[in-house]
Amino acid sequence: MTKEDVAKLRAEIENSLAHAKSIEDLNSIKVKYLGKKGFLTNILKSLKELPLEERRELGSLLNQIKDELEKALKVKEREILLAEEDGITDLDLSLPGREPELGALHPLTIVISEICSLFERLGFEIAEGPEVESDFYNFTALNIPEWHPARDMQATFYLENGALLRTHTSPIQVRTMLRKKPPLRIIAPGKVYRCDADVRHSPMFHQIEGLMVDEKVRFSDLKGILTYFAQNIFGEDTKIRFRPSYFPFTEPSVEMDISCVICKGEGCRVCSQTGWLEILGAGMVHPEVFRAVGYDPSRWQGFAFGLGVERIAMIKYGIDDIRLFFDNHLYFLSSFK
Amino acid sequence: MKVPVRWLSEFIELEEEAEKVAEILTFGGLEVEEVYDHYQTLGEIIAVKVLEVNKPSELKDLAVCTVHDGKDSFTVLTAAVDLVKPGQVLALARPGSKTFFWDKIEVKEVKGYKSWGMFLSPYEAGVSEEKDILLELPHDVKPGENIYKALNISETILDVSITPNRRDCLSILGLARELSLLTGSPLKEVKFGENLKEGSQPKGSIEILDPDGCFRYVGRWFSGVKVAPSPFFIIQRLVFCGLRPINNLVDITNYVLLELGQPLHAFDWKRVAGGRIIVRQAKEGERLLFLDGVERGLSSEDLVIADAEKALVLAGIMGGEESGVSDNTQEVFLESAWFNAKRVRLSGMRHRLTTESSYRFERKVDPEGVYLAMLRATELIFRYANPEEVSIIVDEYPVRFTPPRIELKKKRLSAYLGFEIPEEKVKGILNKLGDLEVTPESFILVPKSYRQDLSIPEDLIEEVARVYGYDKVPTTYPEGVLYCEPPLKTLELTQKIRRLLAGFGFFEAITYSFIDPKLIEHLNFSPDDPRRDPIKLENPISAEMSVLRTTLVPGLLQTAFFNQAREVESLKLFEVGKVFFKAEELASERLNLGLLLAGWKSLPSWYEEERFFDLYDIKGVVSALGEALRVDFLFKPYSEEPFLKRGFSFDLYLGEEKVGYLGRLKSLIAKDLDLREPVFVAEIYLDELLSFIQGERALSVKKPPKFPSTFRDVSLVVKKGIPLETLLAYLKAKEIPYLEDIKLIAAYEGKPLDPDERSLTLRLWFRAEDRTLRVEEVDPIISRLVEELIEKFQIRLR
Repeated sequence: MTKEDVAKLRAEIENSLAHAKSIEDLNSIKVKYLGKKGFLTNILKSLKELPLEERRELGSLLNQIKDELEKALKVKEREILLAEEDGITDLDLSLPGREPELGALHPLTIVISEICSLFERLGFEIAEGPEVESDFYNFTALNIPEWHPARDMQATFYLENGALLRTHTSPIQVRTMLRKKPPLRIIAPGKVYRCDADVRHSPMFHQIEGLMVDEKVRFSDLKGILTYFAQNIFGEDTKIRFRPSYFPFTEPSVEMDISCVICKGEGCRVCSQTGWLEILGAGMVHPEVFRAVGYDPSRWQGFAFGLGVERIAMIKYGIDDIRLFFDNHLYFLSSFK
Repeated sequence: MKVPVRWLSEFIELEEEAEKVAEILTFGGLEVEEVYDHYQTLGEIIAVKVLEVNKPSELKDLAVCTVHDGKDSFTVLTAAVDLVKPGQVLALARPGSKTFFWDKIEVKEVKGYKSWGMFLSPYEAGVSEEKDILLELPHDVKPGENIYKALNISETILDVSITPNRRDCLSILGLARELSLLTGSPLKEVKFGENLKEGSQPKGSIEILDPDGCFRYVGRWFSGVKVAPSPFFIIQRLVFCGLRPINNLVDITNYVLLELGQPLHAFDWKRVAGGRIIVRQAKEGERLLFLDGVERGLSSEDLVIADAEKALVLAGIMGGEESGVSDNTQEVFLESAWFNAKRVRLSGMRHRLTTESSYRFERKVDPEGVYLAMLRATELIFRYANPEEVSIIVDEYPVRFTPPRIELKKKRLSAYLGFEIPEEKVKGILNKLGDLEVTPESFILVPKSYRQDLSIPEDLIEEVARVYGYDKVPTTYPEGVLYCEPPLKTLELTQKIRRLLAGFGFFEAITYSFIDPKLIEHLNFSPDDPRRDPIKLENPISAEMSVLRTTLVPGLLQTAFFNQAREVESLKLFEVGKVFFKAEELASERLNLGLLLAGWKSLPSWYEEERFFDLYDIKGVVSALGEALRVDFLFKPYSEEPFLKRGFSFDLYLGEEKVGYLGRLKSLIAKDLDLREPVFVAEIYLDELLSFIQGERALSVKKPPKFPSTFRDVSLVVKKGIPLETLLAYLKAKEIPYLEDIKLIAAYEGKPLDPDERSLTLRLWFRAEDRTLRVEEVDPIISRLVEELIEKFQIRLR
């Protein structure tokens, strides 16, 4: 056997490996070259008859070929086995998966926690209060004495024992201020109740009340905080505007509008062609309210705001009937997975 | 308040379009809700051409007209038999529209003849005072056209929502003043009845016996007046503002009320006994027949205008039927007064009466406007009711109005608003509100008598800011003291529960806090159960929402019903909310969690058999919840709740305290409520639960084991009366060596077992901490255990 013969052999082996398509092909290559009577086995046996010098040289070449072949066979075998696994494609992949059941939070819960956590990031604490309230906390302490016509603004449910269902979350302001000394910052979500029922009014709905009291809180800060709020909830390009309004417990009082989220201020059905949506009421805390809770109005200044959660949720999700929130139909609820 | 723009422009030059005026008012703080043309709100009032007029003999006094509206022909019946002629173009109010005086038009039928609307007279159309003719339109008006557009008639109205503080704007004059403040354009100089101050001697006396109720009372007598319909412009303006015209005298009082905001009252002087007008407290039990036809009992808290004998009027609220002006009245006493707002308000609330008059009195009238209104009314009465004689004005004014003196520090203004407004601007604004004095440090204002809403410096800050423009307020961020408090425990708990349950596939419901008391009855609570005795609402929306819930279950059941009625077959709901119980003060509010499973656990799918929810579904949810909240719920079998099937229910305990219950709703109750079975409910008392979670228990953190465990399965055939719990308790009590855990891995009943038997397969896990357990160590333990179980519980092996 010459060196040329060895080179030829190497090429021949490489060629048959390249053409091997199956494990059987590999086996036959293995038998042909490496079997007991295989080609390489035989040649290696016959080397004994050659002179020492030649034997050494040729032997090392052939052993090298043998090692390479053994390795190549292993690699090739793994390749073929892996490819065979990919060959099985008779499973119907279009059957639906076995899904774990998904539930959902109520959309009002989602909106409340979104708003509350936004204000928590600004250092406001969450506060709560009772839903059954006294006239004092719901009205009198908020500068709405019994004979005040502003009471007509909020149709009130009364209970048999003379208590009432709170008509707004503002009593939480009063309760918190009576309990704690300033400075303070609270955000207070909760259910509120008014004797109204139609497409736009529900006898029960949710409000979130915000209050900040400190020594230098200014009207312009209210605008800053509410701008931050609106842009976080409705998008960075949201514009806000203040309109003068009246609440007995704030002075000055404002209504805040945001640029319509649907038409971006162009005018559409949702915003009645105005380009603006009324979103909340706010103002600087009225000195009478500070007096009612024992804060010195010449030292402390503060702002307060109150917003309707349903209103925000309706705008955010494009819901046109407030009753959907309390019907709790599964189709509706499962939109919020 | 409805404001006709033309009327408004009698008091102020309006250069802007109505829409712009509306915007100015809105951005000044009085929201204009709508700008509209009054005539266009009446509906389809169109021109029709009369094609044919028939007078069928069976219809007495009616003509049947065939008319054409440009598209179709149809019939209209009319009593104006002699007035209609073919070829005329008439004004027709179509069915669905209304006349100028609010009469609704409907399709009518007489003896088989249909009338598709009504021909209007100029009066009914609100065009002129002519009542006896039909409104005939020029021949060039096209049939079908809106008659007001054809005649170029319109009346622009602003519908302004007046906030309770701005009573001064409850009039045309008031809104003109407000516009003047906001725009800077001056008011037109209008003088009323300056030449009508003199007159004859008073015909009677005015006595104020209750000066706390009446601060000022101005009166005047008119003799020989002619009660007649008002001139048409007054009628129109009243209608535009939503008031019904009655006669010239009553209409004039209403006209002045709308124009100047001062309510007036006209008495028939002949009906005032003794020639005395007495302002006094009502006598306890005194009765008065009111203008609305209702007789009401009065109390000493009510203020009345009385004569020598009896109460005539509930002051500022409503007059009596007897003393009012009628068609035969000739002598009139006219009242213009300033009553105590609080007294009027409380009186109105007691009698549940709100009128245009009380609405203004309870918001405080202008003390100086009282006199002006009398002059204005005198002028109108002279012009439209031809009195023969008028008296001088009697002005009883026991409590003089003294305006406050409000000092606003200049520093305060900018510190409060967060920006500077040029001093000239501030002065310009405040000057219009009253008498202004400016010192180096302060603005000092004595406001005009009609601006009684201004009393403290902050009121002036608001006036300055809103007139200057809220759009000019900059955006700044507050400076404050940093502090931080731990979050509310209840909130942390409810947030965690909500997220867990949503993760378990539950949907959160929010149901009304008020429910139907019948639903509570359905739950059969025992007589001493406080849940049976809910707090009632005094003024509920409906009987179905008339009591505060004492449990979350009714709301969840109602929600299940609502869903089942709308194609939902499988329902997993929860609600976190308050329930309410009677208490000394207010109410005792408790926070609960309610769960509901109804219908199918799993609907048919390609990988899972369909099945209904069962008891172990709800039990599993509650125990998983307990695990996640790290509390050891004790499931005490056979709940005491009367609405649950006893054998399919648990009371839930933490230690000795009941913290809830769970189980299957009784079938009979489900049937009563039209619910499809099965229905499982649970309710957990979160306030009670919270006290067990507080001071979070240290977690026991487990490390991965070093040596493997081994398990043995034992299948036991057990008598049905023996619960698994008994076996487990027995095994756990035994302190079996190396035992790590026991799990039930199979439960079976049926053939070949006896009917009173079932088979339970337990898997027992063993592990040693320091080595791998050998077979020879575990097997003897198992065989010994099995022997003991057999002996103790008469068990056999399978």
